[in-house]
Amino acid sequence: MSVQDTIRQQVTGHRVVLYMKGTPDFPQCGFSANAVRILQMCGVQDIFAVNVLEEPEIRQGIKEYANWPTIPQLYVNGEFVGGSDILTEMFQNGELQKVLKKAA
Amino acid sequence: MVYPQDIKAFIQNALPCDHVEVQGDGHHFEALIVSPEFRGKSMVQQHQLVYRALGDRMREEIHALSMKTFTPEQWAERGVP
Repeated sequence: MSVQDTIRQQVTGHRVVLYMKGTPDFPQCGFSANAVRILQMCGVQDIFAVNVLEEPEIRQGIKEYANWPTIPQLYVNGEFVGGSDILTEMFQNGELQKVLKKAA
Repeated sequence: MVYPQDIKAFIQNALPCDHVEVQGDGHHFEALIVSPEFRGKSMVQQHQLVYRALGDRMREEIHALSMKTFTPEQWAERGVP
């Protein structure tokens, strides 16, 4: 299975998938920590987190998957939602809560 | 070492912009970009345009870039107190 197939399986097989540096309990980058904090404030309990620092192939592959060169990346029901800046803005204007609610 | 003014130039060279501000310490940068190209695009698509303007530099030289994107209309609206 190719890396792109693995990623497709991960993002379609889980409701909320976050590609990040570190883990939700121990984020290793401020932007990843921000993404986790926002999801927690939205009440998401079931984050499927992928630590790209432990999976170098995924770390490269995910940048191509959504044509997005940075990490973290959030996917909800298989759809790419955004990175740290977009999550922050969507959380502030209430859009993210809507996306997550719709996907519940 | 990349300087904020370099990033500003990279963006302006590849994307028609009304206004660009970049601040940063050589590793982490913050950019504010106003471009007519953003009209009718989602926030994801707007950021993708900026990433495309920066190309491989985004992978190699720039560790982190935080950005805010505006259409000229959004920017004008924001300017009104």
